[in-house]
Amino acid sequence: MARVMAAPAAASRAPASLEIVVDGVSKAFGAMPALVDVSVRVGAGEFLSLIGPSGCGKTTLLKAIAGLQPVDRGRILVGPREVRGPGPECSMVFQDFALLPWSTVQRNVEFGLLLRGVAAAERAAVAGRAIAKVGLDGFEQAYPAQLSGGMQQRVGLARALAVRPQILLMDEPFASIDEQTRRLFQDDLLALWSEERATVVFVTHSMEEAVYLSDRVVVLSPRPGRVHRVLDVPLPRPREASDVRASVGFTRLVDELWKILRKLQ
Amino acid sequence: MTGAGADRQFGVAGLGAVAGLLAAWEIVGRLDVSLFVPPVSGIARVWWGLLADGTLPGAAASSLLSLVKGFVPAAVLGVAVGLAMGRFATVRLLLDGWVNALMSAPLSALVPVLIALFGVRDTVVAATVFMFSFFVVVVNTTTGVRATERSLVDMARLFGAGELALFGRIYLPSALPAVMLGLRLGAVQAVKGMVVGEMLISLVGLGERLIYYGNTFLILELYAVIGSVLLLALLISQAAQTLDRALVRWR
Amino acid sequence: MVLALRLASVAAFLLAWEWAARVPISFNFPSPGATLVALAALVTSGALLDATATSARSLLLGFGAAALLGVPLGLLMGVVRPVGRVARIYVDLLIALPTAALIPLVILSFGISILSSAVIVFVFSAPFVTMNAYGGVRDVRPRLLEMARAFGASWGQLVGRVVLPSALPMILAGLRYGLSRAFVGLLVAELLLSPFGLGKLIMTSRSMFEHDRMFATVLWTLLLAGAVLAGLGRVERRLLRWRA
Ligand SMILES: Nc1ncnc2c1ncn2[C@@H]1O[C@H](COP(=O)(O)OP(=O)(O)OP(=O)(O)O)[C@@H](O)[C@H]1O
Ligand SMILES: [Mg+2]
Repeated sequence: MARVMAAPAAASRAPASLEIVVDGVSKAFGAMPALVDVSVRVGAGEFLSLIGPSGCGKTTLLKAIAGLQPVDRGRILVGPREVRGPGPECSMVFQDFALLPWSTVQRNVEFGLLLRGVAAAERAAVAGRAIAKVGLDGFEQAYPAQLSGGMQQRVGLARALAVRPQILLMDEPFASIDEQTRRLFQDDLLALWSEERATVVFVTHSMEEAVYLSDRVVVLSPRPGRVHRVLDVPLPRPREASDVRASVGFTRLVDELWKILRKLQ
Repeated sequence: MTGAGADRQFGVAGLGAVAGLLAAWEIVGRLDVSLFVPPVSGIARVWWGLLADGTLPGAAASSLLSLVKGFVPAAVLGVAVGLAMGRFATVRLLLDGWVNALMSAPLSALVPVLIALFGVRDTVVAATVFMFSFFVVVVNTTTGVRATERSLVDMARLFGAGELALFGRIYLPSALPAVMLGLRLGAVQAVKGMVVGEMLISLVGLGERLIYYGNTFLILELYAVIGSVLLLALLISQAAQTLDRALVRWR
Repeated sequence: MVLALRLASVAAFLLAWEWAARVPISFNFPSPGATLVALAALVTSGALLDATATSARSLLLGFGAAALLGVPLGLLMGVVRPVGRVARIYVDLLIALPTAALIPLVILSFGISILSSAVIVFVFSAPFVTMNAYGGVRDVRPRLLEMARAFGASWGQLVGRVVLPSALPMILAGLRYGLSRAFVGLLVAELLLSPFGLGKLIMTSRSMFEHDRMFATVLWTLLLAGAVLAGLGRVERRLLRWRA
């Protein structure tokens, strides 16, 4: 599996990317605050990572941006649109995959297209390409229960990519993938992103991953989540070709991130 | 806990066990231990006679008709009510007290009420079948809908699913195994309702034959009808199970 | 809000009943008010309590036997696996089959007596009690057994301190479900046998066209069963406090 996610078909034009503005957002579940006064601006076409201790509200923030989770205070803009519910710009890779257990891989990947009214023939073709992109060719007719955790996660990824989103929200997408495959995936994600230029918000627990992928890393404080620090990652791109991981700059940034996170615990 | 072992396959081991029981019975029967344990071969002969002279087929046809008239509405309405209760908290709060109470209530006490309403007619049997099977279907459907994974709903909404698409593409397929279990347990309950209803009105079907042969002390005939009722119940439960397997393949 | 909805649903039921009595759907249909009056009369005359006492005897006899035989049998089936594998087939059959069909046979064997209705109650409830006790033992987490063995528990300790406590929730659920089936069997038996208990009261009221009395007795029966089952449910929750 040399190239896990091949570049998209040249014919399809890349969508214009959008800016995300999170402005003073607070959210509580009952009496328990999950997010407090969070403000983040994600530039159009930017790759931004969210990192922070478990339970600090990363998933909650992602869902709020996707319009799946109404917030108590503040507002969220996706491009010119104020988020009040799910919109067509966003796509998401879910932390627990969220695959339909009763549907095959093919149908799972088609699902987003289906709900957005894409005709059957085009659906099948687009989904087929997305499945090939994540390296699951041959598994089109398998059911999720027959796949490993990593393969399931790739199905979720293919489904999110198939709708060609302008904003891609990724909730720990590589968490259940082994380290070698994970590195390949990271490189392929970067290649894909540099072509599609979607705005990406990427949640991860891995400091190396955050630094390697992102333009900026937002560190959230432990529950309730607030923006604790924002770390710029001025490493040159494209990173997938050069040996960024071995560079002094990379190591220093990871170390800096570690120092920030250690003080949070 | 809605029906303990009723959801299991009887299969080959079951057949073996039944065959063993029948063999032991035949031996005891031949030894003439008790009036109430006649040899199986004798019962089989009488059974064949009742089959040939049309008694059993006639009674069974009437029974099955009541079963269908009661169970089909119970299944359709039960699934509909269960879906509504699973999806909408208001509906659930309005109804779940009743459903839970009636689910474990001795509904056989209501048969005389049904007779008062409908008169001594086979409608009472259908209504009894309905009462016995409806609540299991409702409860299992509700449970199934409520167990739908939150993230699947989120995912579908993200891609723009409206209420109808959520129902058809997420809640219903996700609840399907539980719905099928409910229908299976419901079918078992329906047969019980059928027998109880028919025995109490004592007018039609296999239940009437049971009462009649009991009252006239025709032990062999009584056993033949009991055997037919049990066979019918087993066949229906097996049919429900086969249907379930066919519909929920992805498990 | 929650309470309001629940009250609303009870009110809606009573209104529907009142409406059904007025329409009249059938002239045999008494209003809720008339039913309550008849219920009060039945209680004060003592007829209802007498009938209840008679029914309670059959129920206690039959269900008591089901509990005393069913639970140990289920435990035995769970502990001695080969016994379980064979016996469960018969228990499964008894659960899936319409046991009411056996009633004429029971009546022929035991005559029209309290004993007959007790036997019917037993036949209705025992399979569920047995099956749950068996299931409870079979579903004991193997890890717990390994742990206890690792600490050197004897066979007796294993059963007494690990198997029984972990099977207890299932056993209790089986007893509660068995009791609800016992009520069903009791009513079928009494309605068929007629000369005893609540069933007799219902049937004689019906044959004398005293439908308000009949409705009152049916209502009483349902409420009684509901109360007893709810009470058992409460006992069950107390015994299982550790699960919260
Ligand atoms: N639907 C909900 N109802 C109640 N509380 C919730 C809900 N969703 C999240 N929470 C709570 O909000 C807090 C933040 O949850 P969230 O899932 O956003 O954390 P997270 O940062 O994604 O954690 P992890 O790294 O473990 O995925 C947690 O304390 C969680 O228990
Ligand atoms: Mg999360």
